[in-house]
Amino acid sequence: MKQIILIAIIAGIAAVLPLVTGESPYFTGVMISVLMMAALSSAWNILGGYAGQYSFGHAAYFGAGAYTTMILITQFNLNPLLSMAAGIIIACLIALITGSIVFRLRGHYFGLASIAVAEIVRLSALNFEFTGGAQGILLSEVSLWGLDLNSKNPFYYGMLLVLVVTLGITLYLRTSKTGFYLQAIREDQDAAASLGINLSFYKNKALLISASLTSLLGSLYAVYIRFIDTSAVLDLRLSIEIILTAIIGGVGTLWGPVLGAVLLVPLAEVLRSNVIGDALVKQGLVSETSGLGIFLKENLAHAHVLVYGIITVVCILYLPKGILGLFRRVK
Amino acid sequence: MFFLQSLLSGILTGGVYALAGIGMSLVFGVMNISNFAHGDLMMLGMYLAYFAFTLLHIDPYLSLLLIIPTAFLFGFILEKVFIHRIINHLHQNQILLTIGLGLIMSNTALLAFTSDPKILTTSYSSSAVHILGGISLSVPLLLSFVITCGIIGILFIFLSKTTTGLALWATSQNREAAQLMGINVAKMSAIAFGLGTSLAATAGALIAPTYYIHPMVGHTFLLKAFTICVLGGLGSVVGAGVGGVVIGVVESMSSTYLSSDWKDVVVFIIFLAVLLLRPQGLFGKKGEQ
Repeated sequence: MKQIILIAIIAGIAAVLPLVTGESPYFTGVMISVLMMAALSSAWNILGGYAGQYSFGHAAYFGAGAYTTMILITQFNLNPLLSMAAGIIIACLIALITGSIVFRLRGHYFGLASIAVAEIVRLSALNFEFTGGAQGILLSEVSLWGLDLNSKNPFYYGMLLVLVVTLGITLYLRTSKTGFYLQAIREDQDAAASLGINLSFYKNKALLISASLTSLLGSLYAVYIRFIDTSAVLDLRLSIEIILTAIIGGVGTLWGPVLGAVLLVPLAEVLRSNVIGDALVKQGLVSETSGLGIFLKENLAHAHVLVYGIITVVCILYLPKGILGLFRRVK
Repeated sequence: MFFLQSLLSGILTGGVYALAGIGMSLVFGVMNISNFAHGDLMMLGMYLAYFAFTLLHIDPYLSLLLIIPTAFLFGFILEKVFIHRIINHLHQNQILLTIGLGLIMSNTALLAFTSDPKILTTSYSSSAVHILGGISLSVPLLLSFVITCGIIGILFIFLSKTTTGLALWATSQNREAAQLMGINVAKMSAIAFGLGTSLAATAGALIAPTYYIHPMVGHTFLLKAFTICVLGGLGSVVGAGVGGVVIGVVESMSSTYLSSDWKDVVVFIIFLAVLLLRPQGLFGKKGEQ
């Protein structure tokens, strides 16, 4: 009950935030990224954190949602909401195929197989013609119920809604039979099986829930950005960012993925937009035309992945249970 | 003719893949760790060969004498500083740590060498030998293959005849039992990782004259090396050797008869098929999955 109130309070604060900050597209943009990563990571957490099945290929579901929605809108002029629903169906199909192959495997093999499936999806999107190949898909016009889809607010609230739903499902799962079964599977698969838990049924159930939510976020992202290609929505790096966010916050906790997103996304944004480099130049510490100044300007934008790598290593070595894991036992 | 041509060039490329696969399999066997930084270690090998050639004017094949010990030392240190701390951790944490190390390597390379692809052009890069009338074999690939065979031979002698090599085998068969027999398994792990790293770097250096050199190239090779290991049976050195050649041939055949765009998809489908039908791989022991 405490957690439900907490979700409601945080969602309430997030909901009025755009009204307070007013017209700042940049701030709203960063907030949308935070909400999206928080929701993606929470959705991954249902499978990875609670069922203990670390999927390294969640980009496949994100991309499935994004591509299905974009293709249906641009080529068949379908209603965006119906296109999103179709995206969920496609993602579930991929999830069922993946699940039937990978859930028979354990340990190393599971992680590897989930990457292989995601790579097959990525390469297919890159090589088929109806997916736009390497050029990707551009969406020039879209409308829904007279909403102003050129502004960022509908997407802000859309992402917030999916995040709240994901947290709600996670909360429900924690105290439901399915949730206990999943945690039993995470702790000891053989023991869980010997108690009569149908391993593949419950693993697939967790995967389908997780994949559907991920696909929905992919659809929202695609309509929001209005351009997708394989490197934006199907890359292995996206799958890894999703996991990393959960790890840093705390895997298998309700708020861990949200905390991870709140910390990591703005950090990446700062590095990407080169705020540090600009500040150094402004302070007169580095001259803009000097070698170092040019180097910072041209290269620091790439550095956020490097920083992600360093954070991953430090986190695994010193903080394997994440920030929330410091405060309590992982539930 | 086409068939023979693509079979032979597949075998030649497959030899280099086998080298990368053996390195990964060795690390897996001895340490029970999937090394996701393997592809990036290959990338570093490619850059080492490139800079040895452009700055020091050393032939890429000759520069191996420099690259092998450097990479061994690098891997040994990596193990001592990072990897040994997670040997008994959960698989997923091991995977994430090596992913993190790989990201650090590839993005440092990106900052240092920029994202422009480099090409290592030797005097014999585009020359080819013609055999049996119409079949042409690229000279750098042929040289790489011969060197690969030599290195694999030396590795086998090392593993089966020397005390250290036998201790590595023993550790890979049963870590606890090896420890009880007085083998220093911590040292064996560091040696295995050093060997794995130098095999990856060697494969990278050997493939450098026939491939684009790019900071993000490791990704492609990582997934290939995994496919090779799983095909041969994770931890099986012989299996990885055979797996490498099989994957080389599959790739070359699917470029010839299907399309080069789809060759990686074919490789991954084989990967999943192996996991589905024979998860212990061609040479693995049953019950290891």
